[in-house]
Amino acid sequence: MSGLSGLLAQAFLAGGVLAIAAFGELLAERVGVLNLGVEGLMSLGAVVAIIAVDSGTSPVGGLLASVAVGLLAGAIFAFATVTMRASQVLSGMALTLGGSGLAAAIGRPYAGEPARASFGALHIPLLERLPVLGSALFSQSLPILLAWLLLPAGLHALFHGTRHGLSLRAIGEAPGAADAQGLRVLPLRFVYVTLGAGLSAAAGGTLTLAFVPSWSEGMVAGRGWIAVALVIFAGYRPWRLAGGALLFGLVGSFGYLAQARGWGIPPTLLGMLPYLVTMLFMIAPPLLRRGGGGWAAPASLGLPYFRDER
Amino acid sequence: MSGWTVQRIPAITLGVRLAAYGLALLAAILLAGLLSVGVGLPPLRLGGTILYACFATRFGLQDLALLATPLILCGLSVLMLLRVGLWNIGADGQFYVGATCAAAVGLFVGAPPWLGLPLAGLAGAAGGAAWIALPAFARLVLGVSEIITTLLLNFVARLLVDGLATGAWRDVHSSVTGQTQRIPIVLPRFPHDWHFGPVHAGVLAAPAIALLLSLAFRFTRWGYELRLCGANPQAAAYGGMPVRRRLLQAMLLGGAIAGLAGAIELTGTVHRLESGISNGYGYTGIIVAVLAAGAPLGAIVTGLLMAVVLNGGTVLQIHGLPAAAASCFIGVVLLVVALAERLAHYRLVRLRPAALAAGRAAR
Amino acid sequence: MALVSMHGITKSFYGVLANDRVDFAVEGGEIHALLGENGAGKSTLMNVLTGLYQPEEGEIRIEGHPRRLDRPASAIAAGIGMVHQHFRLVRNFTVAENLHLGWSETPARLARGALERRSAELARQFGLSVPPSALVRDLSAGEQQRVEILRVLARGARVLILDEPTAVLTPQEVVSLFAALRAFRAEGGAVILISHKLGEVLEIADRVTVMRAGRHVATRPALGATRGELARLIMGAADLGAAGTGGAAGETAQHRPSRAPVSLDPGAGQPAASPVSGAGRPAASLSGVVLRDARGIALLDGVDLEIRAGEILGVAGIAGNGQRALSEVLTGCAMPQSGEVRIAGQHFADPLAALRLGVGHIPEDRLRSALAGELSLAENAILRDYRAAPVSRGWRFSPREARALAGRIIAAAGVDRGDPALAARSLSGGNQQRLVAEREMRVAGRLLVAVYPTRGLDVGATRALHGRMQALRATGSAVLLVSEEIEELLEQADRIAVMFRGRITGILPAAEADAERLGLLMSGVEPEADEEAAWAGQHEQATASNPP
Repeated sequence: MSGLSGLLAQAFLAGGVLAIAAFGELLAERVGVLNLGVEGLMSLGAVVAIIAVDSGTSPVGGLLASVAVGLLAGAIFAFATVTMRASQVLSGMALTLGGSGLAAAIGRPYAGEPARASFGALHIPLLERLPVLGSALFSQSLPILLAWLLLPAGLHALFHGTRHGLSLRAIGEAPGAADAQGLRVLPLRFVYVTLGAGLSAAAGGTLTLAFVPSWSEGMVAGRGWIAVALVIFAGYRPWRLAGGALLFGLVGSFGYLAQARGWGIPPTLLGMLPYLVTMLFMIAPPLLRRGGGGWAAPASLGLPYFRDER
Repeated sequence: MSGWTVQRIPAITLGVRLAAYGLALLAAILLAGLLSVGVGLPPLRLGGTILYACFATRFGLQDLALLATPLILCGLSVLMLLRVGLWNIGADGQFYVGATCAAAVGLFVGAPPWLGLPLAGLAGAAGGAAWIALPAFARLVLGVSEIITTLLLNFVARLLVDGLATGAWRDVHSSVTGQTQRIPIVLPRFPHDWHFGPVHAGVLAAPAIALLLSLAFRFTRWGYELRLCGANPQAAAYGGMPVRRRLLQAMLLGGAIAGLAGAIELTGTVHRLESGISNGYGYTGIIVAVLAAGAPLGAIVTGLLMAVVLNGGTVLQIHGLPAAAASCFIGVVLLVVALAERLAHYRLVRLRPAALAAGRAAR
Repeated sequence: MALVSMHGITKSFYGVLANDRVDFAVEGGEIHALLGENGAGKSTLMNVLTGLYQPEEGEIRIEGHPRRLDRPASAIAAGIGMVHQHFRLVRNFTVAENLHLGWSETPARLARGALERRSAELARQFGLSVPPSALVRDLSAGEQQRVEILRVLARGARVLILDEPTAVLTPQEVVSLFAALRAFRAEGGAVILISHKLGEVLEIADRVTVMRAGRHVATRPALGATRGELARLIMGAADLGAAGTGGAAGETAQHRPSRAPVSLDPGAGQPAASPVSGAGRPAASLSGVVLRDARGIALLDGVDLEIRAGEILGVAGIAGNGQRALSEVLTGCAMPQSGEVRIAGQHFADPLAALRLGVGHIPEDRLRSALAGELSLAENAILRDYRAAPVSRGWRFSPREARALAGRIIAAAGVDRGDPALAARSLSGGNQQRLVAEREMRVAGRLLVAVYPTRGLDVGATRALHGRMQALRATGSAVLLVSEEIEELLEQADRIAVMFRGRITGILPAAEADAERLGLLMSGVEPEADEEAAWAGQHEQATASNPP
């Protein structure tokens, strides 16, 4: 693999895991719910995938198991935040701490062992020959490839090209107005928060079945939080999110390159790079532009919806 | 038509809130108990073991005191930001950086003990404040969520300590990796015949700072202004208060307290800088602060409570349960507390035809 | 047969009966006004009719058939459409997106162009012009209302409910709204009009229903009714006699001794306790003030104004023409980019300085700007006074003294059930307003800036507030009264200034003002040539007596 292509491949891979988690978060935030539990969801998804695969399931089955556990945890979170309208920050922290802790606890027997089965690189015959992009994107593993091909386009089409998407955006922007128009605010919020959680958990499964592939405690290492930051950085738009995730992946792959080529950057600093870059991603946009415009959060993000507000 | 209906109350009193938290804790404990039955462990015996281990032996009480100190302090750090309506998720990172700065003083500044100790404490506080400065700027000037920025720096801080402890500052004479040499600055212990064991003078810091904060919140103009700036910054500005300045002061002070906690833990308990110096104290601090319902003195109680929980985790490890179960339990507690707080805003009201008629007759 | 009828509707909140066995019916081809004070239960009744609330007792019938309207969608399906006082539009969406939101006829796959074409078609069909591709937040209130109405009509509404529709319209826009309503009536539709503007009601309605304290009081034809009669029904005959003496808690305007203004800054000097004549130095003055918002749009576009001591200067104008900006520069909440603002001839740079110069501020949105909802009444009541002894000495703060002061303020404000430890948010809107008004009047030694202060207050509290303002004026303070009620301005103010697009289009003595003239000024219409000269003369006179 040529240097650039290798760089891109690494970017698509690392960025792909982030993208999956971030798109899950986007689903929730677009209907107005801030889910700070992505880290816990990814941990759960990661460990469940390993356990499933270890008991003989195929990698696809493992991934489905991740999704399932994400849906379950997401439903609990959605019940707390949407139905009961409890504090989204507290509930999200609960999901992060509880999920990570639970994952560490049940993952102990599997720590450090290579996954019994994992997603291998696909080599799509013709597309793989495309210059640069070919070996970067089309030799990825199945979930990564599908993510890049389906998620940005699909979610963009959903939110900006369908009646249903219009309703969802309205729920995120002005639930009172949506409610007055007969839209079912709470049920839709519940559904999309849960679905988003399932997707984010799948990102964890991708981590242990396509990225590493194995499980160790703390391997998620803040990716869930980076995903949340990416959604903000991308101004809540699907294509920008894809771009942001790829950009992030590129930064990470530069880090690997630096290490491999021995450019003399201390490994500690390289380890810090993802988090520092994320900070930059969060600080730079408001620093460089004025006001909301197309970058603003859905107006009701983080606020619970009560119909008879008095 | 008769029956029950649920009414929403816009605001609840402190008493109701505390009752809700208490019930939430009980519910969480019950859930844990049920879970332990499911796993095949007798819950009551386990509970008894934990309580015994914490309170019935001298060693247990000493451990509790040592464990409660960083927890209470980190809780106060989070509470400081909560008072102005912000979240300090970065107390862990500030703790690490505080410990690092104190270690630096100990390793590189050759000061006599009477000077070195306060210097280390100050360095710790300054380090913690410095670590929250960037998120503070991002939040107050750019409007960036402090939740994520403070949290990201946790990872950076831990990597920093890791790097120093295994690299530049590592103990070359020891066979154990990942720690620095013993820091020469040490917090004094209590007189030997008090039998306090390893409990050091730093444990006084937690209740002292809690008391100071409590007095400041209630009896200073600054405390009143903080409360208003947090509750409604717009109204505070309109009332002539320097909102951003107050928010910044609160954030820096919060960071400083967490940093000081790190310095105390280093010079009093651990004595070497290592990446395990924080056992998730910053994160547990969040629940300590939330349960304290805004009262610094309350943080003493909730900090002790969380110390029992964490101690319990250690006890359970002996019985084969993984250490992470404790943090999982804390997560469950957070969730139940969030639910209980919301539920406390509702009350059940009986709709009786007689009551309805009485209401009409009275008008 | 009635198009829509409601029988025995009962609904309560937090133990308070908002609707008490209310009967209400509306026929096809009529405009039916629903009157009552705030808290009388009109909005609650309509929210029940539109499926937002569920009644505890009672039944709704559509053309005689009982229907359960358990969600907004059911009401929409039953042909009931409501345009709320505070529009339920998604501000960040375009007009086209808002029109198509939650509508079964919207195609499942949308494209922006298609939506806008369909919107234009709808506008044509119903004769309501709206710009399909504009963002709702950039539209004027009148245009937003048209979007709301169009949306309701497009869904096939046969019953149109309008909640205080004319509050945000210029007199000319009211005329076109009424024309549209008459057209709707002519086609057999029914209109339910909630309003407290009796004059307009008598002009447009066929029948009138009055509610009071959650109950149905009367229904009668509008023909032949008088405003006095309606007012009596609304307030209950007995209360009319006691007009002006205030409410239950013994808080009366006339009986209160006029309070000497508190000077927080010893060096500021006492304001002149001059009589009402208005002569003497101005309490506040603006010259050439320009204020721009973050996007560079001029909120105030060269304002020259003088507020004299001992006068009530009313400010008329449709909301959004600079009134808020005016109040903000006078209270130190915003600094103009050019021009000067002075209080008693002195400069100031922030709200604290303005406070020290004796400026009180009753803002438009009290819960957002003047109160901290989660904090207690006591903590809110002392917001202006806490820096002074005995509440604070230096950096020290005495909770006990704070509570005592707060108790005094709360009692003086006449807030009933005003337990100081209660959270501000749990008070009713009217009580919140009373608290804020009292708090601000205590510190308004030179100037009180009151922005829509009687919004949300019932008749009794409104009269009390007006009385307090008159008393304040008598002590020599000035009052800037921004109001959307022309009647209130005509009654209370000495002079009335009109704002349009960030400028003062004219200032009239109240005696010479009337709704028509004010309405023209509010729409930015230039006054007649000779009138202009007369106004210019007055303005010169005003500025000559005290050069800026």
